Amino acid sequence: MKQRRFAGLAIGLVAVVGLGLAGCSADADTSTASGEDAYTIVIVPKDSTNPWFVRMEEGVNKFAADSGNDVYQKGPAETDATLQVQVIQDLIAQGVDAIGVVPVDPGALETVLKQAMDAGIVVVTHEGASQENTMYDIEAFNNTQYGAFIMDNLAEAMGEEGTYATMVGHVTNASHNEWADGAVARQAEAYPNMTLLAAEPRVESQDDGEVAYQAAKELLKKYPEVTGIVGTSSFDAPGVARAIEELGLTGKVFVSGTGMPAANKSILEKGLVKTLTLWDPADAGYALASLAEQILDGEDIADGVNLGVTGYENMTFAEGSDKVLEGNGWVVIDKDNVDSFGF
Amino acid sequence: MAKLVRKLTKSNEFYLLLVIIAVSIVIQLRSGQFFSANNLVDLANAMVVPGIFAVGAFMVLVAGGIDVSFPALASLSVYATTRVLVDAGYSGGVWLPFLLVIVVGAILGAFNGLFTSRFVVPVLIITLGTASVFSGVMQGVFKSVQIPNLPQGMSDFGRSTLFVATNPESGLTSNMPMAFLILVAVVAVAFVVMRYTTFGRGLYAIGGDESAAARAGFKVRKIKFWLFVIVGIIASLAGLVRTSMMDQMHPTNLLGMELMVIAAVVLGGASITGGTGTLTGTMLGTLLIVIVQNSMILVGIPTFWQGFALGTLILVGTGISAVQLTRSRKRAPALVQG
Repeated sequence: MKQRRFAGLAIGLVAVVGLGLAGCSADADTSTASGEDAYTIVIVPKDSTNPWFVRMEEGVNKFAADSGNDVYQKGPAETDATLQVQVIQDLIAQGVDAIGVVPVDPGALETVLKQAMDAGIVVVTHEGASQENTMYDIEAFNNTQYGAFIMDNLAEAMGEEGTYATMVGHVTNASHNEWADGAVARQAEAYPNMTLLAAEPRVESQDDGEVAYQAAKELLKKYPEVTGIVGTSSFDAPGVARAIEELGLTGKVFVSGTGMPAANKSILEKGLVKTLTLWDPADAGYALASLAEQILDGEDIADGVNLGVTGYENMTFAEGSDKVLEGNGWVVIDKDNVDSFGF
Repeated sequence: MAKLVRKLTKSNEFYLLLVIIAVSIVIQLRSGQFFSANNLVDLANAMVVPGIFAVGAFMVLVAGGIDVSFPALASLSVYATTRVLVDAGYSGGVWLPFLLVIVVGAILGAFNGLFTSRFVVPVLIITLGTASVFSGVMQGVFKSVQIPNLPQGMSDFGRSTLFVATNPESGLTSNMPMAFLILVAVVAVAFVVMRYTTFGRGLYAIGGDESAAARAGFKVRKIKFWLFVIVGIIASLAGLVRTSMMDQMHPTNLLGMELMVIAAVVLGGASITGGTGTLTGTMLGTLLIVIVQNSMILVGIPTFWQGFALGTLILVGTGISAVQLTRSRKRAPALVQG
């Protein structure tokens, strides 16, 4: 433990020097390192091998470099709540300063996170809005606003006119439906020349690319006036794109939605889908570590808190919550930047 | 002629065909598009994967078991094949993927067969276990993730079409996939095997009464073992077709299909306790489910009611065949149908 402190001190000193050099150009709001003492901040993802969290680690490492603190990512070997608990217990035993967790199962982590907080460790979470034992939880965005963003992308492709329908994984999936509702609300407010298909406003893809494909074919056969589909699940856009291509409607019918870059490279490059939207796990990892550091510095976490990375510069509390912070950390993927994400 | 009519009205397939015709007419009336060329091609397209799976499920069901492991088996064999070929940078034809899934599928099927032929435990229980083993191996050993880019040969095969149907009114085009031929081939081979080989007749015999079959001279263990090897191959073919046509390997895409496929086979008249059933019925049952599943939006059934509509159809469909079956059983002792 002592050694770690010494190492920490050394890193801290380096950080002070580094800050001194970089100080001139640093924006006052984004300066993050305290400079007095280096903290040990550990980010615990769901799974350390999943490409999503491998990408997150890049953001965590970037924050380590930017802040000079001892910041690293350490996750279970597979997505398993029990393994994640063990990782956190080890970190408590090591006496780290802060833990940022992406919970596999918020319920299963309550006890161990309480132990951590009782031990004086700062605990923050990401994508764990229901977590009780956390100081703050950050979400990349507000679901309604993300839906509006999806609609903006679709409207641009459709030339802001025409009929559209929405597609969700299941009508019981909370976030998909909030995105779809957000998209419809945005259209009603901003795009008067677009209309929601009244007969079939929301179809299900059952989170299955094949079902999305079949449903889109049916929809486009039955309702030739439809020229746009708001996709939500990551299977929607690829499935719908396949239907558009087969039916010979490329360039006439458009789809938008969430999608991972690597999985959608070919449809973006072929022009079947112009843009997809996503949140970048690297940014979330950066923001999570940054939040932990601000808490350790004793800074007041309030509406408008700046976590130093695009999309997380003006975090606001979710309605009725003093724990859940929401940003607008979405990114657009198109054929030009699809290769730049690495996941 | 009268004899033929009597035979027809006794058969389950006849009633199923009536139901299919009735459903088709209803859909046509509601949407005006059911009998359009491209809709029919779309249905054939949607039928390929469930159809191939149904052949395998049917064979197991006839032998008196319920196999729930085939989607997991197919996922594992296709995932392993795709992973290996992608990592090796394979860019040749589709023959190698086919060869590999057949080999892997046969090995995994043999794994099923080993247990089902040695242990007196219901096939359902054994395959529930092996299904978890298969998906566990896929997730644990192979660290399954979506594979976005398939080997060129698979991708080309998935895109290759027999012909393109165009709807003259809307101008929409639908592709008849080459993979439809795989369905035709699997059905044709299975038909011959089930009807004209000792192996096929043995399956009916075992499903009817296992000990009687053993006494009649069928090598029960051997037949059961090879049954699962064959079913492993059939399921893997379906998996390869689905993956190629989707143009990406999505490891969990097939999981969960088993119940719908088994329902389709039972709808087609195969008895859940084994010994009876026909391939014609199996195909008609699958066709009916595929038609209904893929016509909900055409008919205009709201999303919230689609599950309800499908469930009702299965109940009514199986109900009709059940009533018909009990009636014929009252008249005559059950015979092995072929």
